[in-house]
Amino acid sequence: MADVLSVGVNLEAFAQAISAIQALRSSVSRVFDCLKDGMRNKETLEGREKAFIAHFQDNLHSVNRDLNELERLSNLVGKPSENHPLHNSGLLSLDPVQDKTPLYSQLLQAYKWSNKLQYHAGLASGLLNQQSLKRSANQMGVSAKRRPKAQPTTLVLPPQYVDDVISRIDRMFPEMSIHLSRPNGTSAMLLVTLGKVLKVIVVMRSLFIDRTIVKGYNENVHTEDGKLDIWSKSNYQVFQKVTDHATTALLHYQLPQMPDVVVRSFMTWLRSYMKLFQAPCQRCGKFLQDGLPPTWRDFRTLEAFHDTCRQ
Amino acid sequence: MRPFLLEGGSVSQMPVAEGKNVQQTVELLTRKLEMLGAEKQGTFCVDCETYHTAASTLGSQGQAGKLMYVMHNSEYPLSCFALFENGPCLVADTNFDVLMVKLKGFFQSAKASKIETRGTRYQYCDFLVKVGTVTMGPSARGISVEVEYGPCVVASDCWSLLLEFLQSFLGSHTPGAPTVFGNRHDAVYSPADTMVQYMELFNKIRKQQQVPVAGIR
Repeated sequence: MADVLSVGVNLEAFAQAISAIQALRSSVSRVFDCLKDGMRNKETLEGREKAFIAHFQDNLHSVNRDLNELERLSNLVGKPSENHPLHNSGLLSLDPVQDKTPLYSQLLQAYKWSNKLQYHAGLASGLLNQQSLKRSANQMGVSAKRRPKAQPTTLVLPPQYVDDVISRIDRMFPEMSIHLSRPNGTSAMLLVTLGKVLKVIVVMRSLFIDRTIVKGYNENVHTEDGKLDIWSKSNYQVFQKVTDHATTALLHYQLPQMPDVVVRSFMTWLRSYMKLFQAPCQRCGKFLQDGLPPTWRDFRTLEAFHDTCRQ
Repeated sequence: MRPFLLEGGSVSQMPVAEGKNVQQTVELLTRKLEMLGAEKQGTFCVDCETYHTAASTLGSQGQAGKLMYVMHNSEYPLSCFALFENGPCLVADTNFDVLMVKLKGFFQSAKASKIETRGTRYQYCDFLVKVGTVTMGPSARGISVEVEYGPCVVASDCWSLLLEFLQSFLGSHTPGAPTVFGNRHDAVYSPADTMVQYMELFNKIRKQQQVPVAGIR
């Protein structure tokens, strides 16, 4: 309530300050008027000069007076927006119709909530970092505090490095061919062709995989103007399902410090789809379930399962 | 128009059940498909006409003239297929029919040789199933079942999977792997492969001409 009151006082000061500014402006324009008119006709030259200087002095005095008045008032007005912890959004609390638009209280709650979230996320990341994943033995040495700094640097890897990592992976798997292109600036797009089974479009941001779409070997992966079509999905249900699983895999293989390991693990996992139509489910032993072959591949063992057969 | 070079597929002849005619067996099959959850998607038609090499062009050594088959498939409405037995398969535009009329001097159409299969298309997930009645002239002679699995382009890769699907509605009547599967191990399946299978099926049915319809095995 004290806030609102002080702002109310300030409003009065504002009104006064505005009229002070107006007074200052008019006195300044009087100064220039006087200069413009010059010396009026008087009998003697001295009389003319005297009258002009006196008039000019008067005007300057009044400018000085108005300026002082304005300075005094501006101290009264202060800087309300900077005093408030929420800066300009704090002005929302001035809204008289609280019941209809409870924006301010909601804003405060959201602010508290996001503060709390940040705090808990910090704790969680510290704890999680202590648990070593199996593929990442050298992660142990990295302390939790260094982590936030390590992440941004991996986003600005030189394109040459990305090219090297991808071509190394390409050479690693003979049945998999990877074609890298950069149609939109530095972000790479990969077209992965796996045997005669499927094609995968991988959208990268530096060495992080942003999005993948799986399509059939005989399906068109380009738009009419010859660019990679990263939006439309496959016409076949089986590849739509595999796309879903591939997206799950992207979330599973996470290792911010070593993005090249992530890409390699993902590609290794993807390669297990080589036998998409040839491998029966490891649980029920059948090929088909609801008309679909086993589309799930275990992240560790790479064994084939139906979506509903996996644990 | 769908892209060419598609689907692993299989065409097979379905034996008519004991004590039932062709029509009843087709109904039995389609009912099973519908129970499985397959959806009707229009009709299809595959036809085949036989041509002899004209006598005038044969050598005097009395060598037998080769048979040529000219086929159409409603799945590829702009194409015409010309096949020799065990020989090459030519895929041409439908204008090819007009050309055959001009080539009368070399290839003569065999009398009453036209054989065709007509029926309903069914879609079940990524499977395309076509159950058709094979007719030659006025009489129904058998049933053809074609199964396509669109996502897979190498036929031998998905044969076990196809077999399991076939068993789900054909029961024990499932066929052996078609010969086209074994020939080229990892070749991409093409529409011509489907036509070769239809040609072989039609030839098999022609040879059973004398047998009464209901008695096909």
